[in-house]
Amino acid sequence: MNDLTTALGEAWRLLLSGDAEIWEIILRTLAISLCATALAMILGVPLGYGLARGRFPGRTLVLGMVNTAMGMPPVVVGLVVWLFFTRSGPFGGSGLLYTPQAMVLAQFLIATPLVIGFSAASIQSLPPALPDLLTSLGAGRWRRLWLLSREARLGLLAAVMAGFGAVISEVGASMTVGGNLRGSTRVLTTAIVTVTGRGEMATAIAYGLILLVLAFAVTLILTFVQQRRDA
Amino acid sequence: MSDVGLHQVSFQRDGRTVLDVESLRFPSRSMTAVLGPNGAGKTTLLRLVAGLERPAAGHITIGGERLSRDGAPRTALALSDAVFVRGTVRRNLDLGLALRDVPMAEREIRVRDAADECGITDLLDRPARQLSSGEAQRVNLARALCLRAEVILLDEPLAAVDRLTRRALLDDLPRLLRAAGATVILVTHDREEAFRLGERIVVMVGGQVRAEGARRDLLMAPPDADTAGLLGFLLLEDADGPVAVAPGELRAGPGAGGPQVGFTLQVADVLDLGRQRLVTGTIGGRPVELTLPEKAPSPEKGAMFPVHARSVVRLR
Repeated sequence: MNDLTTALGEAWRLLLSGDAEIWEIILRTLAISLCATALAMILGVPLGYGLARGRFPGRTLVLGMVNTAMGMPPVVVGLVVWLFFTRSGPFGGSGLLYTPQAMVLAQFLIATPLVIGFSAASIQSLPPALPDLLTSLGAGRWRRLWLLSREARLGLLAAVMAGFGAVISEVGASMTVGGNLRGSTRVLTTAIVTVTGRGEMATAIAYGLILLVLAFAVTLILTFVQQRRDA
Repeated sequence: MSDVGLHQVSFQRDGRTVLDVESLRFPSRSMTAVLGPNGAGKTTLLRLVAGLERPAAGHITIGGERLSRDGAPRTALALSDAVFVRGTVRRNLDLGLALRDVPMAEREIRVRDAADECGITDLLDRPARQLSSGEAQRVNLARALCLRAEVILLDEPLAAVDRLTRRALLDDLPRLLRAAGATVILVTHDREEAFRLGERIVVMVGGQVRAEGARRDLLMAPPDADTAGLLGFLLLEDADGPVAVAPGELRAGPGAGGPQVGFTLQVADVLDLGRQRLVTGTIGGRPVELTLPEKAPSPEKGAMFPVHARSVVRLR
């Protein structure tokens, strides 16, 4: 208990000291995870919409695959990306391995099934006649998609939160494709693993607290948007 | 002019033809009820006119102009499910106007006027998804009316309301729709709705138009058995072939009211209702009910009982 109290005190001291490395890691963590979530939304929401409203052979099979991918272990995703981008892999010449871009790609692959699955479920929960209503009122394709997204925003923002929550907290994929390089690919989760390994518990707890605050802050903003009442 | 025309229109779903109309015209500013059983193609017809579906062949015109997917919407559709977006009734009424780029100042006026006409002014600030079925149908109608479209399309407007609300809406709808000055097409499987709301009636069966015309003309002379059945006629047969008997026109005995067509009723049961007796049975295998006045001779169960009909339409 005494150790924990000491560690917490050390954590606060570290946070308030304005350590440049901590701020760099925080900003990198946010940038990579937000970027991956945004890309997952751009691809995942239209795909979720298509899966929810489309009628094509094999639709249930595709939905089943998406639902399975929602629980894919991040380290496996990281391993697959690593295999593609390692020197002997099909994209080995790209030089992306151990860069923030590779981490964005891995996190994007983790978040996308979550976004597709949550989006499809939220679009499916809308009244089936709603698209027809909007068309008959005069909405073109894009305005209809926008209005339907507004109607399904509870589920869509849950999709964002699930995607962001999954990628900001994962360590396996980031470690595998990022390599935890100081000053380049180190993010909060990989930093926690590193300093814990070195026995620097106070620093590990400080990083952990920052990670929690970051995740909470972003999710809180999304929750405010989600719960906003319609005029 | 906002007459609606269907010209050699057909529509298929899953490889099956669900609508096949050679030619059909809804005159400008008329109120037409499209009557038919489930699966007759009524709603498909409405969806085609609303631009929600495209015909496999043929084309549709409004005011002589071909309907195009990219053109400005010229119809207002009230779906049978009163579906709403999130938010208040006001937001729901305003949405269509905003989507059709109506200026803000006019939108407010139109919403207020439509709400006033439909008696929903006190609902404007209520969440639309928390309305009763009757309130929801009124809001559904107000949303269509405030668009002030040339053509108003109503899909089973009274399908999901209770009996009292239905009666109230049946009283109000003709006035509201006439005031809109639009060409009104409403589809229904309920003949009372069709008679009350349609000046003209189109009868559809199996995706095809079986009969069309003024309500009175159709009631005087239904062209075939399906139409007569849908219009509520009792389909019987006498010595000269099939006839349609207007509802309530069967009388007991060899009445004194002039020439009539006679039938023989096989009596199944006689129920004493106080001042009247209800005779149930069959004529030529078809179930028939007959109300007898107190003084009329009473038939026995199982007996053959002569009856006649005043209004008989001989079917072609």
